[in-house]
Amino acid sequence: MDVHRDYYAELGLGSSATLPEIKSAYRILARRFHPDVSSTPDAEERFHRIQEAYEVLSDPERRRAYDLWREKEGLTEPSVLVVKHTLSHETLPQLSEDQILYLLLEIYPRADLEIKRLPINLCLVLDRSTSMQGVRLQRVKDATNFIIDFLDQADVFSLVTFSDRAEIVIPAQSNINKAFAKSRVSTVRSSGGTEILQGMLAGLGEIDRWRAQDMVNHLILLTDGQTYGDEEQCIEEAKSASLRKIGISTMGIGKDWNDKLLDEISRQSGGMSMYIDSAAKVTKFFRDCIHSLSAVVARDLNLTLRLANNVRLQEAFRASPYLERIDVGQGPIFLGQLGTDQPCMLLLTLLIGPQNVGKVSIAQVELSADVPSMRRAGDRVKVAIEIQVATDVGVVRPVPSNIVSILSKVSIFKMQEKTMDELEQGEVERASQRLETMATRLLNLGENELAKAALLEAGRIARTGHLSPEGRKKIRYGTRSLATLPKEIGYD
Amino acid sequence: MIKCPSCGKSHPENTLFCDECGAYLLVEGRKRTDPLGIEDVAWMEADFGVITPLESAATKPLTIRVSILDSGRQIELPLDKEISIGRLDAATATFPDVDLIADGGMEKGVSRRHAKITRKGSELFLEDLDSVNGTFLNGKRLTPYLPHALKDEDEIRLGKLVMRIYLR
Repeated sequence: MDVHRDYYAELGLGSSATLPEIKSAYRILARRFHPDVSSTPDAEERFHRIQEAYEVLSDPERRRAYDLWREKEGLTEPSVLVVKHTLSHETLPQLSEDQILYLLLEIYPRADLEIKRLPINLCLVLDRSTSMQGVRLQRVKDATNFIIDFLDQADVFSLVTFSDRAEIVIPAQSNINKAFAKSRVSTVRSSGGTEILQGMLAGLGEIDRWRAQDMVNHLILLTDGQTYGDEEQCIEEAKSASLRKIGISTMGIGKDWNDKLLDEISRQSGGMSMYIDSAAKVTKFFRDCIHSLSAVVARDLNLTLRLANNVRLQEAFRASPYLERIDVGQGPIFLGQLGTDQPCMLLLTLLIGPQNVGKVSIAQVELSADVPSMRRAGDRVKVAIEIQVATDVGVVRPVPSNIVSILSKVSIFKMQEKTMDELEQGEVERASQRLETMATRLLNLGENELAKAALLEAGRIARTGHLSPEGRKKIRYGTRSLATLPKEIGYD
Repeated sequence: MIKCPSCGKSHPENTLFCDECGAYLLVEGRKRTDPLGIEDVAWMEADFGVITPLESAATKPLTIRVSILDSGRQIELPLDKEISIGRLDAATATFPDVDLIADGGMEKGVSRRHAKITRKGSELFLEDLDSVNGTFLNGKRLTPYLPHALKDEDEIRLGKLVMRIYLR
């Protein structure tokens, strides 16, 4: 055993890899570098190194000794992920009933990390139905040209348009000829209907041709209309894309598209969904999207929460880059990608049952992610969350202002959710009242635009029993972007 | 159990916001900003000469960077809407864009609604919102509610809290 050699790196793993991960990495590498099959000049040496690494790491006893040695020598590589946690209370009173505790998790990549940007494998899937005619299509073309200019030689680009069927305008290729690509873009004409599934299938096919572990594989779907009858299949495709490590971002222009479907597609694949209210903003959305793709350092970010006895997770929200409710079912919570541009912030509402006095363990948070640029799969970090429980709490520290600020926005977001539910169930009066209350809260936050939209729609509901399609999107996507926080540069 | 004062819904202990009506449930702790007794002030001369050209498509500067000298914190904000500066206080539903609590804003005499930055065309303006301890631009105190033009690397002081701005 040689402690100065990083056996984990030799297997392409992080130091927190599990035994099954080690086994599967070994099997793949051993097959690739077996001297009988491989033509790589140093195959035999590589093979022996892999063999040795596996022998040590697959034996729990020897692995522990190796880990301990490396730690002593200061050779262990820390995780790429950093988790900062903040609790709403320092000390909880001992109660015989349930009480709430808020937990804020901020996840970001280590600051001293020097990673060059990963190549992007991007496919744009654009709606060219009749309704896109005119300014809309022109702006989308401008935005597409912007992306073509942004990409480097190592990036792969493809362009698919769809109406009733899909056409591959630019097949997936690296080192694209920019002038040629732009001339192809200019040939796109609008006509026909909107069949999203056709576009998705063709786009995913293009991405699959170049799909690689160490690339950011992503599809951007832009549409302005409803698709009929293929919704279920679209969602299935998004799920299977997610398994193949392809993210999908969706953008809807105007007011006539299916926000529920687009949200679901992007949620399934860990992408983003966006509402573009005016064609003039398309370039801005494309720019934001490509910038965040080029900042990706970790993929497949998953959170596992192990709660202590008598502690329950009531609800969970993502607070950055945008507000979103997180399904808290069984198993790990899928969080998608992590970039250097914005931290991933989560706000968890925990319901704490009666506890004993003293230091109480509440939960264990475990995060795992793939870091392709360092060839590390299953990079892990664990944090134990504890709190003091006392009969006499003493001087109460105010709740940290970042938690209060996020919660104030979450509470508006929840009112929006309730309004939509009430409308679906036909409780028109309650929905209208709730929107009015929401408008007041929005005014207090200084969100005048959104408040105005909410008031307008409250009136409309009272009169007609429905939201306007435009108002519905304004309110849904508006409340979601409430959490866009000012970017902090450096932490201290 | 606690009850929402505005709609009456019950919530578990320690809940901060009512999920029925969005009201803030922690009513105590409405803190006032203490006057710090800042004396000998030079007032900024009223600047009525600023006539902003009506450039409709003015897009620059795009962002403002606020560097808080005492705490070393730096924040970058987009200039697509008015920026409020002050101290977060949920009890009065004050959620400023730049919250100075973490920088010792309370002790340094920052008001909840202290000042705001607005833009007209390509020019930026700082306006004091009648704060208790005043807003100072490059050492001179601003008359409340009278916007004053800002330029790159100006020093802004709120009460005793000093920050510098950079435009891009």
